[in-house]
Amino acid sequence: MAQAAMTRGREARESGGFQQHKLAPYAFISPFYVLFAFFFLAPSLIALVLSLFRWDGINDPRFVLARNYGRLLSDKVFAQAATNTAIYAIASLLIVLPLALVLAVLLNAKSLRFSNVWRAMYFTPVVTSTVAITLVFQILYNRDTGLLNAPLIYLGLEPIYWLGDRSWAKVAIIILIAWRSTGLLTIYFLAGLQSIPEELYEAASIDGASMLQKFFRITIPMLRPIILFVSIIVLLSSIQIFDEPQILTQGGPANSTMSVVQYLYERGYTRLRLGFASAVGTVLFATVFILSLLQLQWYGVFRKED
Amino acid sequence: MGERFGQRLGVIALHVVVISGALLTVLPIAFMIYSSFKTTTEIFTLPPWLPPAEWSFKNYETLLTGWHFPYWYANSIIYAAVVTVFVLFFCSLAGFAFAKYFFRGKNFLFIILIGSTMIPFQLILIPLFILMSRIDWVNHPASMIIPWMAPAFGIFLMRQYIQAVPSELMESARIDGASEFRIYAQVIVPLVRPGLTTLAILTFLGSWNSYIWPLMVLRGNEVITLPVGIATMRSQATASQIPYGEMMAAATLVSLPVIALFLMLQRYFISGLTIGAVKG
Repeated sequence: MAQAAMTRGREARESGGFQQHKLAPYAFISPFYVLFAFFFLAPSLIALVLSLFRWDGINDPRFVLARNYGRLLSDKVFAQAATNTAIYAIASLLIVLPLALVLAVLLNAKSLRFSNVWRAMYFTPVVTSTVAITLVFQILYNRDTGLLNAPLIYLGLEPIYWLGDRSWAKVAIIILIAWRSTGLLTIYFLAGLQSIPEELYEAASIDGASMLQKFFRITIPMLRPIILFVSIIVLLSSIQIFDEPQILTQGGPANSTMSVVQYLYERGYTRLRLGFASAVGTVLFATVFILSLLQLQWYGVFRKED
Repeated sequence: MGERFGQRLGVIALHVVVISGALLTVLPIAFMIYSSFKTTTEIFTLPPWLPPAEWSFKNYETLLTGWHFPYWYANSIIYAAVVTVFVLFFCSLAGFAFAKYFFRGKNFLFIILIGSTMIPFQLILIPLFILMSRIDWVNHPASMIIPWMAPAFGIFLMRQYIQAVPSELMESARIDGASEFRIYAQVIVPLVRPGLTTLAILTFLGSWNSYIWPLMVLRGNEVITLPVGIATMRSQATASQIPYGEMMAAATLVSLPVIALFLMLQRYFISGLTIGAVKG
């Protein structure tokens, strides 16, 4: 009797709370979708439409069809900015990523003492303000008195014109990017290394495998999904590069370090060519969209292995 | 014997490589602090490792009295703190919904959420700025807070943490007649404090270090943030006397607190970064 009454009571409460239970999740997730629609989707659509117009933000927009896109694709400065950005991305993939991978393996070595101290030191750049540290690098790169040139000067060699030479300026940006991002990528690889079963290495040791063999035959294949994930992160963050060239070189000399986002900022914000900048944004959007689809694909890979 | 000697040598080499790399990594930060005690002339004097003639806090004093630095500092703290509070609330709420409820359209909505984490916001920089100027949010604190209150990444992060909370706890609270929001506030939130700490650190840091957006939407010494302020110290001075000494003091004051925060809460920071990478 008592039990039946309790069950009935519970049912009543549950059906009373039924509507709430059903609607609550929508209420809980709605802030994201409202903000997403207003501050992300709407601007994206505005950009798409605006990319077909010529507009300075003051006078009436003038419809120019695809002329902005035509002009963009034939613009030498855009080609240069795109090339520079690709160089940053490739340098990150070929230099920073392997460096971070090796560093993660070293930091993961059992015979390493005080590993936490060294890790903390390597991770510090990840949290340091880009603007602040870029100004420091500006001093380090100074041709006549910078720390990087000081040894050359004392050896009587020609100092490097880090920020004034078209090629060295790119190298200077890449060193800065490497300094800023190696620690971050190392964090990802260290997390990946934790998931490799210890037995694999033990078995290999018994078979007499060397350190290098273990690295190439076990570590690299086992980390494959993480390496793919990190590659995409590197590509996406390369496309976003702005702070470093903006502060260090202002994109110079002669646009030789200008990134795509800098180009976008300069055309859209400084020169108020809003329609043209929207076309730049749209082209970038398409590029990133394709890269993101690839990443989603790889997320799938991750899930299966989990 | 020979093998053991080889092993020893390997361990020594490992330490040499790891430690020299670590020192090289913190060198620019050490150099920044070191230079903040030098005059601008001394910073650009060979050799660069020469100590200042007189160790003094003069750069710091000038920075606090001669520039709007205290404003920039206060602004950065306020924007970062307010945005963090909103992010914690909205992301944990939505993460809770995605982790613990079944509802129509959930998969579709979740794909939109994940998809949006992969599009860098710089791509909508110009249209978003146009929107800000249309709704009169240029130079208004709202532009630094409202668009960034519910990042998809944070929702994903909180979902991962909340999935680990046993559903039975929710069920028993529901049987006791708790409303859905009370279940969130009184059952879920206390159990995912580590997740909230992680999200708080990442959000605060992101806001604190952001540059391009405040550079565009904020104008005037009273409203700009630290990174923008430090960058303008260069343009506000005449070319021949850019105050690098004071800028190094400013860079130190921007970086050291977050580095200290990071060292204290490293564990949370790293778990936040890697949760997407390994767990998917």
